[in-house]
Amino acid sequence: MDKRTGEAVRYLGYGNHAVDEDTLGLIEASFSELSETAKKRIVYRIFELQTPDDEQVIIGNYLVKSRNLARNLQGCEKVVLLGATLGAGVDLLLRRYALTEVARAAVMQACAAADLEEYLDEWQEGFKKKMAKEGWYLRPRFSPGYGDFSILCQEQILRMLDAAKRIGLTMTDSYMLTPTKSVTALIGLGRENTLCGKGGCEECEKTDCVYRRST
Amino acid sequence: MLKERLGKEVLYFDGGMGTLLQEKGLQAGELPEIWNLTHMEEVIEIHRDYFEAGSDIVLTNTFGANALKFQDSEYELEDIVTAAVIHVKEAAYLGVHDDREVYTALDIGPTGKLLKPMGDLDFEDAYQAFAQVMRWGEAAGADLIHIETMSDTYEMKAAVLAAKEQTSLPVFATMIFDEKGRLLTGADVRSAMAMLEGLGVDALGINCGLGPEQMLPIFQEIVSHTSLPVIVKPNAGLPKQKDGAVYYDVTPKEFVRVMEKIVDGGAAVIGGCCGTTPGHIRNMTESFGRRAVKKVDHKEETVVSSYGAAVVLDDCPVVIGERINPTGKKRLKQALKEQDFDYILKEGIRQQELGAQILDVNVGLPDIDETAMMREAVSRLQSITSLPLQIDTVDPEALESAMRIYNGKPMVNSVSGKQESMDQVFPLVKKYGGVVVGLTLDESGIPDTAEGRIRIAGKIIKEAEKYGIRKKDLVIDVLTMTVSSDPGSARVTLDALRGVKEKFGVATVLGVSNISFGLPNRAALNANFYTMALEAGLDAGIINPASEDMMCSYRSFLALTGQDPNFEGYIGQYGGTEASETGKKHPETSGEMPLEAAIEKGMKKEAAWAAEQLLKEQDSLSIINRYLIPALDRVGKGFEKGTVFLPQLLMSADAAKQAFSVLKEAMPAQEEGEKDRPKVILATVKGDIHDIGKNIVKVLLENYSFDVLDLGKDVPPEDILKKAVDEDVKLVGLSALMTTTVASMEETIRLLRREKPDCRVMVGGAVLNQEYADMIGADFYGKDAMQSVYYAQEIFHQI
Repeated sequence: MDKRTGEAVRYLGYGNHAVDEDTLGLIEASFSELSETAKKRIVYRIFELQTPDDEQVIIGNYLVKSRNLARNLQGCEKVVLLGATLGAGVDLLLRRYALTEVARAAVMQACAAADLEEYLDEWQEGFKKKMAKEGWYLRPRFSPGYGDFSILCQEQILRMLDAAKRIGLTMTDSYMLTPTKSVTALIGLGRENTLCGKGGCEECEKTDCVYRRST
Repeated sequence: MLKERLGKEVLYFDGGMGTLLQEKGLQAGELPEIWNLTHMEEVIEIHRDYFEAGSDIVLTNTFGANALKFQDSEYELEDIVTAAVIHVKEAAYLGVHDDREVYTALDIGPTGKLLKPMGDLDFEDAYQAFAQVMRWGEAAGADLIHIETMSDTYEMKAAVLAAKEQTSLPVFATMIFDEKGRLLTGADVRSAMAMLEGLGVDALGINCGLGPEQMLPIFQEIVSHTSLPVIVKPNAGLPKQKDGAVYYDVTPKEFVRVMEKIVDGGAAVIGGCCGTTPGHIRNMTESFGRRAVKKVDHKEETVVSSYGAAVVLDDCPVVIGERINPTGKKRLKQALKEQDFDYILKEGIRQQELGAQILDVNVGLPDIDETAMMREAVSRLQSITSLPLQIDTVDPEALESAMRIYNGKPMVNSVSGKQESMDQVFPLVKKYGGVVVGLTLDESGIPDTAEGRIRIAGKIIKEAEKYGIRKKDLVIDVLTMTVSSDPGSARVTLDALRGVKEKFGVATVLGVSNISFGLPNRAALNANFYTMALEAGLDAGIINPASEDMMCSYRSFLALTGQDPNFEGYIGQYGGTEASETGKKHPETSGEMPLEAAIEKGMKKEAAWAAEQLLKEQDSLSIINRYLIPALDRVGKGFEKGTVFLPQLLMSADAAKQAFSVLKEAMPAQEEGEKDRPKVILATVKGDIHDIGKNIVKVLLENYSFDVLDLGKDVPPEDILKKAVDEDVKLVGLSALMTTTVASMEETIRLLRREKPDCRVMVGGAVLNQEYADMIGADFYGKDAMQSVYYAQEIFHQI
């Protein structure tokens, strides 16, 4: 099973259990339908970073208070802001299946999330190589909503990226990204190859979560 | 005057603003429009440089100046807009050194929000935000409105309507396309241009996103589809990054090299966008000078569009799905009365899957508010399908209301040769754009000769011309009459069809199925008549795409007339099982399977089949109680124990739903027990747009025979209360995904407690847990979908 499929299975709540054939069939079909429908786009910008203390960071001239983020970016000199989306077509597809076939809607929901993660991973891999040539090392991606990094920061991040214009990524009044299958994230850039600070699941303090990555 | 020069001589816009402001110290994320008040001199200087470079039209620094972006600003938006206009005027005074006429264009950019149903911004709210700025801009002395960088046709429509209704200024509209010629929201060039032409803008085109080189092919596509003056404003290349700063590197010289091709290709207004400078503009004005615009031909394509796609009617014949029309359809009538939109949407999806390219939407019933229903149906259908819609109503108010909120250029059904009808419908088509069906009948009825119908077609075309509605935006319906009541009538229809084609070269449409009324084997008659009509020149048949005979006629006709390249459509449909089956369905077994097994294994077709078999011996209710519910129970228990997982639970639910619909069909109305089923309201709370969790709970509750009133997502507390009171509902289920929306969940609970204390509230969603649920005062926290089913059963058992 490839990583993307494994992630989709995890999002569907299988934990350590083996996935059944029918669901696997649905997952494969969903990925193939998504590959036709998704219009993946990404926008990023590199900003100067200052970390005055262990609970705030300054990105460009934007001040963010977050202990978790400050820890993630410790020792970095620059930071990449990025936004990525699968596009509005995926939302239409999800709405449609919610009406006609809710099993497929739920599976596609998980697949879309996994697809987006993979897209970011692949992009990041390329970006990492590019930055390595200039002597920069990347930290794990970190998104608004992780730990004490407020989801309210979404607004300023989108604005600094000009994300609406560049990739059609916007947010609602309650700070939810639209199209829904989208992310914003930060990646610290440092001169040293430190392994400190993991990303995503491993960083989360909720250790009893059924969706937690088992590795 | 601008309107007199437009399209005759090449006019020059200015270039980039943001990049120049950044050079003068504007920070990323800072709102550039505030500089109109805080850094006036810098702003005026940039405008002045453009006038000196030869720009005829300079944009105000108001790209992001709208109430949706400036909610929390310490500056008054009106002051920002007014100052912006004055700055351009001031710059013209300083920078224009001869007597040439120049113009101040009020710059309108996107709100930065996504409109419903994709996002949470209401169409009318977007309209109001634009209208406000436009009124201020006109009052301050702007000469035209330039709406630009729009990536969503729907937002563009709101802006254009605001400009046209709230001001008397000329309207320029440009959109941002990618290299494949698509908007970020998916529309292609043709559909975007069709909508803009329909809305009656003065000039249209493309800006931003691409450099001149990449824009050239898209410009050529635009020119090939529009008769209006075309605007082209490229960036100075594609954006690049160095040391964290975005920059563009196409030099003025290179820029001009490509722009020359664009001018030679017929562009009417040219300028630059991000990264372009007065240098780029100066190079163009000096190289091209005062040049005449290359003459463009009038395009005669009959095009309807939705936000995602355009359908051309006079190219290859198209299928218009007729199923969303209550005439003679009991189940749809019931759905309309009960506001069961799911049923209507499913009819839409089904027709699309069967091959319809446009969907007719008729929701007229004597006892319903047709205007509200039409608006809702159109808006919801556009949230699940990208097919263009045909708005089908005789009520002018319902028609206008739907045309206004329609995303794209709709098809309108219909106008007739009656003066009253034309007086009502044509002004709406003129205002909102659309392709209108013209019925060949008038005050004296339907002529029984082909000549009579052709004459009325001519009358309709002539009357439309008075409004400036061209023939390409009409589709003539020469009317299908029942052949059994007059054996000559089919011939008359076909002759009239041929006649209007020959005489006027106009596109044609027919409702086909009426032909066979009162005769046996209607399918055969319909299909044969359909083929004859296609041969006589029918462009669009309004048919039932679920009828295999009709679709077979359609596909055969295309195959036989060379309109199905490589027989792809025909072979795809009839060439055996290899086509498109794989990947669409999950693995299936064939053969007989008992109902319980089919449900437990999540086999939809088998479940429906098994239910049909059981119906031969038992009645629906006992099948439900004996097989369906026990099977669901077992799956539910497995889910609880952790041996069955969510996708399997839902596959079973989908299978049970299939079986249930078969059983429901077979139930006599009085036994259906519609009135006795306990009602449960489900809603995703205000501010929240994620509804998969709610949809899962809904399917499960429905399977357990609850009457679910699904209010959708982003639902205000008052709406939930109103429904609970109106329908006397005893249980409400609320869903929220994020911390930011739990507040509105709490507010909803508080409101229900106060106004409808006998109503219980269950909550669920990613962000919630028992502790949180207790804190906001919910009666029950459902950690998964089955828990809410058990709780609902418990509640109604008590009652």
